[in-house]
Amino acid sequence: MNSNNRIKHQHSRVDLTKPLNFSFNGKSYIGYQGDTLASALLANGVKVMARSFKYGRPRGIVGAWAEEPNCLVQIDVGAKTTPDLKATQVELYEGLVAGRTSGWPSLAFDLKSIGGHFSRFMPAGFYYKTFKWPAQFWPLYEHIIRRAAGYGSSPIEADVETYDHKHHHTDVLVVGGGATGLLAALLAGRSGASVILLDDQSELGGYLLSSPNTTIGGKSAIEWRDNVITELQSLPNVQMLTRTTAFGLHDMNMIQAVELLQDHLPHNQRKPAQRRERLHRIRASKVVLATGAFERPLVFGHNDVPGVMTVSAIATYFNRYGVACGQHALILTSNDGAYQAVADLAAGGLQVTLADVRTEINPAWDARFKQLGIDVYLGFGISEVFGKTTVTGARLSKLNPTNAMQEMLAQGVKLRVINQIDVACDIVASSGGLSPTVHLFCHDGGRPTWSDESLAFVVSANSRANAGIYCVGAVTGVFGLQAGLEKAVETTNEMLNSLGKNSTASKLNLTTNEIARSPAQAIYRIPTNKKAFVDFQNDVAVTDIELAVRENFKSIEHIKRYTALGFGTDQGKLSNVNGFAISAEFLGKTIPQVGTTTYRPAYTPVSFGALAGAHVNDTFEPRRYTAMQPSHEKYEAEFETVGNWMRPWYFPKTSENMHSEDMHAAVNRECLAARNSVAMLDASTLGKIDIQGRDVREFLNRVYSNAWSQLAPGKCRYGLMLNEAGMVMDDGVTACITDTHFLMTTTTGGAANVLNWLEKWHQTEWPELEVYMTSVTDHWATAALVGPKSREVLAKLCNDIDLSPINLSPDAFKFMDWRDGTVAGVPARIFRISFSGELAYEINVDASYGNYVWEELMQAGASFDITPYGTETMHVLRAEKGFIIVGQETDGSVTPLDLDMAWAVSLKKPFSFIGKRSLARSDTVRTDRKQLVGLLTEDPTIVLKEGAQIINSSNILPPVPMFGHVTSSYYSAFLGRSIALALVTDGLKRRDDPANNTIYAWAEGKAVKATIVSPVFVDAEGARHNV
Amino acid sequence: MFVINCPHCQEAREEEEFHYEGEAFIARPANPEAETDDAWGDYLFMKKNPKGWHWEMWNHATGCRKILVAKRNTANHAIAGSWTLSEARKVYDKEQYDAEQATK
Amino acid sequence: MSNLELNLSQFSPVMQTPLQHFNLSAKQEKMTDAKGVWAHEMALLGYIHLRGNAQNKDFLTAVKKATGVDLPTAACSISVASAITMLNLSPDEWMLICPREQRAGLQKKLEAALTGIHSQVLDSSGGYTSVWLQGKQATDALQHCTVYNLHALTPNKVVGTTFGKASVIIYRLDNGFCLVLRRSFADYIWRYLARAAAPYGLGIAAL
Ligand SMILES: [Zn+2]
Repeated sequence: MNSNNRIKHQHSRVDLTKPLNFSFNGKSYIGYQGDTLASALLANGVKVMARSFKYGRPRGIVGAWAEEPNCLVQIDVGAKTTPDLKATQVELYEGLVAGRTSGWPSLAFDLKSIGGHFSRFMPAGFYYKTFKWPAQFWPLYEHIIRRAAGYGSSPIEADVETYDHKHHHTDVLVVGGGATGLLAALLAGRSGASVILLDDQSELGGYLLSSPNTTIGGKSAIEWRDNVITELQSLPNVQMLTRTTAFGLHDMNMIQAVELLQDHLPHNQRKPAQRRERLHRIRASKVVLATGAFERPLVFGHNDVPGVMTVSAIATYFNRYGVACGQHALILTSNDGAYQAVADLAAGGLQVTLADVRTEINPAWDARFKQLGIDVYLGFGISEVFGKTTVTGARLSKLNPTNAMQEMLAQGVKLRVINQIDVACDIVASSGGLSPTVHLFCHDGGRPTWSDESLAFVVSANSRANAGIYCVGAVTGVFGLQAGLEKAVETTNEMLNSLGKNSTASKLNLTTNEIARSPAQAIYRIPTNKKAFVDFQNDVAVTDIELAVRENFKSIEHIKRYTALGFGTDQGKLSNVNGFAISAEFLGKTIPQVGTTTYRPAYTPVSFGALAGAHVNDTFEPRRYTAMQPSHEKYEAEFETVGNWMRPWYFPKTSENMHSEDMHAAVNRECLAARNSVAMLDASTLGKIDIQGRDVREFLNRVYSNAWSQLAPGKCRYGLMLNEAGMVMDDGVTACITDTHFLMTTTTGGAANVLNWLEKWHQTEWPELEVYMTSVTDHWATAALVGPKSREVLAKLCNDIDLSPINLSPDAFKFMDWRDGTVAGVPARIFRISFSGELAYEINVDASYGNYVWEELMQAGASFDITPYGTETMHVLRAEKGFIIVGQETDGSVTPLDLDMAWAVSLKKPFSFIGKRSLARSDTVRTDRKQLVGLLTEDPTIVLKEGAQIINSSNILPPVPMFGHVTSSYYSAFLGRSIALALVTDGLKRRDDPANNTIYAWAEGKAVKATIVSPVFVDAEGARHNV
Repeated sequence: MFVINCPHCQEAREEEEFHYEGEAFIARPANPEAETDDAWGDYLFMKKNPKGWHWEMWNHATGCRKILVAKRNTANHAIAGSWTLSEARKVYDKEQYDAEQATK
Repeated sequence: MSNLELNLSQFSPVMQTPLQHFNLSAKQEKMTDAKGVWAHEMALLGYIHLRGNAQNKDFLTAVKKATGVDLPTAACSISVASAITMLNLSPDEWMLICPREQRAGLQKKLEAALTGIHSQVLDSSGGYTSVWLQGKQATDALQHCTVYNLHALTPNKVVGTTFGKASVIIYRLDNGFCLVLRRSFADYIWRYLARAAAPYGLGIAAL
């Protein structure tokens, strides 16, 4: 376990002068600056890092980046813990704490490893078949399965990190900072276009960083990379983002990408003001996808033993991180792409055995391998890997040398093993070719096509050019470096021309030292009678795909879901194409006939924090405040949100012994103050729309159900607004300022909708009407001064309005009048309207003075013990009067007639107002619709539950016919009993029929007896406000 | 997450600035009282809801608060164009006319 | 009501800005390069909403008569003349921003000039406040807050766009941005802006 696999490699990106301490599963290790957790663990000789999902088989690292299927780790502890990161993508830092995610119930002893011995009992569809019945036990199964499944644990504390979003608009976005992406960005940058270059790794360069012996233009690939980056940095129009993964490509070239800003830093170097992650939303005129490819392993017997990897991964660990994963490597390949790595490893001192499924080898490579002392087996594949927790050797079996596997299968011939050789080794690496990273290309509807030449699903350079998407490099199936660079120049120039720009490839010598490639062989699995895995993360073996096909699953989408192929955090980056090819084999189809599954965002997992961004805590949702907020806080209001508004809910008083009132005590006190003395409500949140123009009256006649032709200046009227289906949509009081100027109020929640609604009708149907309407909601602060003493309070602050009582001065300020004047020295518009049934004044002032005027009113009312009240008391007071709240008594299915508000519907108006025709539809004219009534419980102390169902009998044996529901229910301190409003089928008739006016309101298992009554519980004749 | 060109603000803006306002060119019957219940119900509730090109209204909610008309493909979110209400009407009518001529 | 004035004989009315509780003036400092974003509230300005038909010559003439300057009629344009900044918000809507003490006079002049011309003149001074923003990274900070393409927001241009989950009017001058925000959203927008600017360092700029 403690062997040291670190080698000194002159091109390694790891700084051996900077050791870093870290721990994995509680054990301490040392790695170096530049390591990933995976490279550091491999350097320390750690082989088993995970247990597999279904069988609990020991698993090690297979890949070197996002394709890694096995090594999911839990990073950090407590509130900062993050589950299910791939060890291959975690940058090492001083003090990093990592642990295995899989292997419940304990790390040392894994219950599921028993499962491995019984794997024949867990074939494809195992979960579907086993846990299907009985259905009620699924929650139990699910719990166990999820716990045993081996994924990590979410933090249980609140996230202490912060995240944000950033919006970009750019001419060119290049995704991928490998060789061709760098080149495309350089050409685009030279053209003067604005350019953003993204790469998901800590350093730009891609596979160049793993290819130190490759040269471009006579220079080492790394030197070429350094020069390109230096030039890009000198261009002010180019922005480069590393550690930034583009995870989704959406409509019209909107790319979403997550940048990791701090996770690579030791805790003591992380800046508190900096974000952990940033979600970039980039709108690009042109997108260049240089997303590259992942190497695809070959499928062979026991290919999941720790120590079996991909060739590119071994090369990356060796060349980039200076880690030799073992001493003796057995490499299996079907293509020339793996050869450079073979040569690099051998030149670096490893003992290397090469098996190639093909029977011929390029003489140039043959000569080089001989020179390096590499044993080469042509026409061989690996049929079985030896070893349990680490590779100890492998069996090479000779494949039929005369025919390519695909051709033979087409002829129905079974492949036959001729002879075999056992090789001792401690690493096995395979290459079945490259699988282009086509994910982003496909996210918004693009499809990859199968290339027989590249043996891969590829995308073409310009097939989506009309959508502004161009592709360069390995994603297009061009796997040679020089060919890729040359094609990238061509494609990038085509892209720049479409922007009306051009660029120069001057000073760019793109000649490489690559050896010409021979054709690869189309082979995906080596015949074997041992278990051979296609998808490591989901434990999908060749036999599972075979079984799925045998059970008649024919679509690849169905095979995927039945076997779980390509599920999980890696989304099949390694396994998918092998799965498609092997499915094709069993289905007797070609790979393009089988096709691919659907690629959907996100390309790699994205944290909830990044998606939420700033939309957390006090910036989660807009909180709207009125001008009186300082006073509300001073009087210790409890708040509730109404729409986005923070409204005082009630004002609990704290007694001398620090005992704070509960809501009921506070509301009872507030209600009595309003009915008996004076109280005050902040009504600023009501929507206010100023409407002016020659045709205002006509416009109001069309949008309200009641009539506006006769309302005189100085007067207000309650207005009811219907939608075109005849249902109540909003209400409020509207004042006539002059014949061409009205001020409309709306409900708090409906303000924005109503303004849009009015604008829409004006703009689309009646543009000829001369009206302008503008929201003045925020301009006016509104204090509703309520109660028999309200006039006396207002009189103290108001010497320019005649406030004398109506019976003394009939011409003075009457109910439903409005007046301009000053209140506490501030210009005010006062409406004498009442939502409580009491004498009341709604005082509107410029909101800049809102808090001042409110405080002046509080002082003026002190001698009457003026009481601020909140929305709860407002609701009780209005319910006592039977006044509706739109959205509480109504739900979009309630007409004014259902509310017994025919008085607010003027059928005589010449224009067919919005909703009028619908009031005459066969359904709306029924007289037995649900109608608004009052309810009084038999027991006056019981307050019904809002939402309680109305039933006709206390016998609640199902089926129970239901006749409506309770819409509002309160305890009325003024009446000394409970009251409720309800929508009841045929309620208006039942209200007046003593033989039929008993109902039961059912909620929470109880049926409460009540009588249907008028919804007006207090002062039906209106004497209280007419004073 | 698409982009709509606002003909009033005269530039392309992100979808987040707009509210969808439903199918365009559903005319309110001139005399609602003369409509049968069925015809009125069709006006209220029956929408085209096509897969493909659709003429629809959008409100530039955070910007000019004006309604505009866009011809949008509901299957792939491509937008063929966007116009003021009156300009859109001309384009729409011509399209209807051309389609009629083509079927003759 | 626009002809009513403050009664200062018996009372001493006090105005409050919607950002009062952040006590920004106590935190203000001289602008330096040490912080990437500088902001301050331009408190208690006068705001007038003006609606009218820009195709109507009489309307344009009347406005010019009242204000002394041409109304900016091009989409998203602004005019900055002496004490009045005029923002084109839509083809038939403008916002006029002026010192608070000039609002009543300006409104009276507009109303007088526009008598008989279809239009709407509204005092919106209580409903808005403005926040000035400048600094090396002011654009970066705004990119966290709005979906608008800020590269397209050239000097002397105004747009209405998103801000977090709310909306703002933003106009740009040569040396920075001005956000015009609704009073009730001011707390949210300030918090959102301050959060967005935090990684770059946010300073409250002394005027
Ligand atoms: Zn617009």
